[in-house]
Order: sequence, then C-alpha cells, then structure tokens
Amino acid sequence: MKDEQTSLKLGGHEFKSRLILGTGKFSDIETMVRAIEASGTELVTVALRRFNRDKPSDDLCAPLAKLKNVKLMPNTSGAMNSKEAVRAAQLGRELSGSPFVKVEIHPNPHHLMPDAIETYLAAKELAADGFIVLPYIPADPVLAKKLEDVGCAAVMPLGAAIGSGGGLSTADMIQLIIRDSNIPVIVDAGLRAPSEAARAMEMGCAAVLVNSAIAAAKNPVAMARAFALGVETGYAARQAGLMPKSAVAVATSPLTSFLK
Amino acid sequence: MQTLPDWLNPEPWLNRTFSASEVRQALGAESPDETTLAALLSPAAADFLEPMAARAQALTRRHFGRTVQLYIPLYLSSWCSGGCAYCGFAADRQTDRHALALAAVEKEIDAIKAMGFEEILLLTGERCAQADLDYLRECVHLAAQKIHNVAIEVFPMAEAEYRSLAETGGTGVTLYQETYHQETYDRMHRWGPKKDFFQRLDAPTRALAGGFRFAGLGALLGLADPRYDMLALYRHVRHLQKTFWRAGLTVSFPRIRHEAGGFIPPHPVDEKMLSQIIFAFRICLPDVPLVLSTREGAAFRDGMAGLGINKMSIASKTTVGGYSDKGSEEGQFDISDDRGLDEFCAMLRGKKLEPVFKNWDGVYRLTA
Amino acid sequence: MFLTVNDENYEHHGDGTVAALLTELGATPEHTALTVNGELVFSKDWKVFKFNGGDTVEVLTFVGGG
Repeated sequence: MKDEQTSLKLGGHEFKSRLILGTGKFSDIETMVRAIEASGTELVTVALRRFNRDKPSDDLCAPLAKLKNVKLMPNTSGAMNSKEAVRAAQLGRELSGSPFVKVEIHPNPHHLMPDAIETYLAAKELAADGFIVLPYIPADPVLAKKLEDVGCAAVMPLGAAIGSGGGLSTADMIQLIIRDSNIPVIVDAGLRAPSEAARAMEMGCAAVLVNSAIAAAKNPVAMARAFALGVETGYAARQAGLMPKSAVAVATSPLTSFLK
Repeated sequence: MQTLPDWLNPEPWLNRTFSASEVRQALGAESPDETTLAALLSPAAADFLEPMAARAQALTRRHFGRTVQLYIPLYLSSWCSGGCAYCGFAADRQTDRHALALAAVEKEIDAIKAMGFEEILLLTGERCAQADLDYLRECVHLAAQKIHNVAIEVFPMAEAEYRSLAETGGTGVTLYQETYHQETYDRMHRWGPKKDFFQRLDAPTRALAGGFRFAGLGALLGLADPRYDMLALYRHVRHLQKTFWRAGLTVSFPRIRHEAGGFIPPHPVDEKMLSQIIFAFRICLPDVPLVLSTREGAAFRDGMAGLGINKMSIASKTTVGGYSDKGSEEGQFDISDDRGLDEFCAMLRGKKLEPVFKNWDGVYRLTA
Repeated sequence: MFLTVNDENYEHHGDGTVAALLTELGATPEHTALTVNGELVFSKDWKVFKFNGGDTVEVLTFVGGG
C-alpha cells in the first residue's frame, strides 16, 4: 500500500529525515552547522566554487565532514547548460565521494528559473553514468515523467522561485506530478514557512528541500528545528489520512431516476 | 497459482466495511485512491447514488465538456479457438462461423465511413487460422486508409506483433481481462492460450510498448465479485497510467447478460450496482474516458450519457459484418440498444450533449 | 613555471606536482578538486600528474549552496 514506507529512499539509500537542507546564505559556518544539527537532516546540498586563496576558511568540507550521518549532495549551480552541469557533477563527485547530485541549471541569473531542456539532458547523462540524480525542475508533470524514464532517483519541482518565499504557488501541478510518479517528489525552492513544508508533505511529497527560509530567518537554528517539525507533522498527517472536504451538494432534480 | 503482483492485488481494500460518513468523505476526496474507490463501491454507498451521480456529472463536464465520443464495432470473424464459458462464439458452440473476406471488410468500412464514424473497433475471437495476425494486419491497413482511429479487440499477442499492427495504422487496443479473480478466470476459460491469466494481463503493456497509443481496459461484470474486479481494474489502470504516461487509457463496463449458449452469470450486477460502479470510477479517475456499449439498454445509456460515461458505441452489430448489408446470423451477444445513429445523436443533443465522431487525426500516424 | 590558476596568471615555484601547487595556494588536498585545461584530473592520479607551463588550472572546493 502506498505511503507505507517510513524512510525516504533515494537510489538505494535510506533516510529517516525527510528534510533536505541547503547550505547557502548562512551568516557563518557555525550557524550553518548548528542549523543542520537542529534540523536532523541527513542530506545537505553544497555548491562548487573556485578555491579562494584569500579566504581559505570558507571551505565547507571540514565542518561538514565532522557531521556524522549527513551525506553531501553537490549541486551544479553555476552551470549554464547540460555540458557544464555534467562537468560540475563529476567534480562534485570527485570532491565529495557522494553519488548524489542535484542537477540545477538556471541560465538566467535574475529569476533563477530552471532550464527544463538542459536539465533533462544533463540528468539523462548523469543517471546513465551511475549518479543518483535529483533534478531541480519547473513544476511540470510531463518533464517529471520524462526524468523518471531516464532514471532519476527523484524529481524536485519548485514551489516558487528560488529564495522568493512564494510558498507552494505550484501546488496544483505538484499534485499532478505526485499522482503519476513512481519516484519520490521533493519540493525544492520557494518555501518560506514550516506550515508550507507541512502542506507539501500532506499533499504526498516525499521530502522538502529548504535553504533560504532557514538561512535567512531571524534565528536560523530555531527555524531549522521548526521546519523539521513541519515536515514531520505533514508526513504524519499524510499517513493518518486527511479528512476530505465536505461532500458535494445534491442536485435539485434527480439524476438517477432512470435506474431500474 | 502465481500470486497477483503487488500493484494489482485488490485484497488489502476488500475486507473492510464503510460507514455512511466514510462514503460521504470519499465523495469529497481531493486525491482519490483505492480506499476512496472501495468506499464508493461499498454497500453503504448504494444509498448515495444521487450525490455520486452529481459528483460524477460535474467531473465529467469539467474534463470532457458536454461531449460524448462515438465509435462503432466491426466483427471481422466469429471463428474462435477459445473456450470461454460465457461466450456465444466459443469454439464448442454450434453456430455458423464466418470471417469477412478482405473485399467485404472494405465494403463494411466504406459503409461505416459513410455513416460518419471516425473511430472503429475491429473484433475477432481468439487466434485461429481463419483470423490470424496476417489477416488482422490486412484489415487494420484497410481501415486505416479510411478511418482515423482504428482500434482492435482481438487476441493477446507479442510486442513485436503489436508493433507490426501499430505500424500498419492501428492506434488502440481494447482487451478486457474478463476477470481479475484468478480462480474464476481459470474456471471460465476452459482451454487454449486464454487460460494463461498473466499472458492476458500483460497484453496492454505489450501493446503500449509496441507503439499503440490507446488502451481500453475492463472486466466482464458478472463473472466474479464485482468489488474484487473493479478494485483490481482500477489498480491496473493506475499502474499503466504511471508506466505508460503518454498512453490514452479508457475503461469499459461490459455487463454479462444472457448470451447465446445459456450462460448464467454467477455474480449478476444490476443497473443500480452498474451505475454505482461507473460513478465511483468517474470520481476516482476523473480524466479517464469511461465507455458504455450497446450491451446496455437505451434508457440506461441515455441516463448515463454525460453522467460519468463520455464514450459510447452506437448502431452496432455484433454479427460478422452487417453494415453494408443485412446479416442474419447470431451475434456474440445481444444488442440491447438497437437505435440508429440519427436517433441516438438526437437523444444526445436533446440532453445538450454533443456527439463527437473524430477525436484523433490519422495524420499523427507515422506510417499507415 | 607560469600557469593560469582560477583565471589569474600565477607563477608556480615548486616541482609541478599537484601537492606542491596546493601547498603553495594553502588548499587542503582532500577538500579540493582540479581541472587542467578543462579536463578533470582525478585525485587518484595526482601523485603522477605534472603541470606543464601554460596550463590552465581550476582549483575548486565546496561552498554553501542550496
């Protein structure tokens, strides 16, 4: 029966937590580490950048390596097309030793909307190369099925624009994606409040990925905990089965009087 | 006996009773699932036919507008190697057997085209020398020259065979599992290739993998516990929806009646139960076309048109041929709605429903 | 030896091995990935790899990202 499994399964790996954290935009590494701990997450995204000689302390690897039970998922941000994304993924795998990759390709630096076509091409190539691929995508049910067909471990439709805090503006499309998907559906981007994470989970999402909403909160560590609770609540509610909205009204003239 | 795969097995939803309030909740389900369907098929839901009909009508209108798609069956052959206990064409029944010669097929297709139909369903019995794959391919080819949407309801075949028919111009495959209840299935199918439950079960998968665009599913109501069959049918559809997400799926609700041969269905389904089933399917599969053939009588069909049902056959003959001249032999089953096309369309229009003859254009075929 | 490191002209004073360059830059080898002239150089090959004058080198590491 559906929803029976209690752990999140991604490419043969199991996770107790259904909250994935992004590590960007934190004021400092210590806050980030404490937020990760408070969130209970077991999977965090990281980005690849040039080594900065002037600020070698920016290196995230050392603090992240100390966090037990947390796997890394390098993203491909900065890539303008599939070729660059594949390269970034290979570098990320080399650096992290992790088979996970979040494919994100957003050529427009202002709204950061994902490029569906390049994302598909990169995901296809990387899945064939043995990566556990989680593509960040527009909330498009057709694209989601095509990505499932080429071997992605999950799809990550956006709730709203990255960093926008627009919430689940794509809820109807995400519902359609969930309905026909054989792989986990993870809402990535756009969430602002833990209640939105709870709603995504109630709808049947397998997990949510949150970054800005935690990093940019007044108290990121407390907000990380709040999101963990939101995700847990939403998942528990989904398992419990929501009461449907009240049933339809009865037509004024009978529709079934022809029945014998 | 091989057990049903997890994606099909209806057992987990069967042995549960539902209260009136649970039925009310199922009626408002936002993302319907097996439990929703089980509730709407339950005895408690029989008291909710009117609100179920209202919900079914609203969903049908939302997804299909005020339209009803029309198609027509053409029986190519009454030869059959099969031994279905309930069928008037079974190999051990004494009946005159015919197979249309290709010239006659062409005449029939011309007659059907002249009536205005653009969707045809070609039927044969189980695979036999008089109506084999080569014959069928010729018939599909002939039909595809003139009719946009050419579906077949024939014997299950291998993927490569389906592919050859799709390449010839076939667009749809209708294949009912008859019953998803294996023990009953085994009893009803007395010999031959049709005894293989799983070979039949996987046939729509092979057809869609082989390039067909549409697949029609169903179970013959009356053979086994309808709740068992309908839950399994729903799960079969959902499985195919998730696997072949490009495919157009339809669901039919053939109800077994008194056939030539005197078969008495062990689990008869009355009109009320049939309507409950159709409403429940519309609520749980809001965007899947639901089909009702001329097996059912005029009053029931008129009532159900637009009320869950959005695809119907009309002016059908279940004898071999019969459109270009009057056939007289026995059909596979008795037609209960023998109205002509004009009369039927007038009825639809009277209910403010638009008959749709063409829903797909053959220009999309890569080959024909 | 002159190299281009992360888009800047860079004079390398060591023996042209990866280890020597990373030490010079102050980078931790196990937290670093490398491309040379656009090609990924795997860390398992670093012991035998030698830079040539004029090579374009990218030295990469992880930073925070969503």
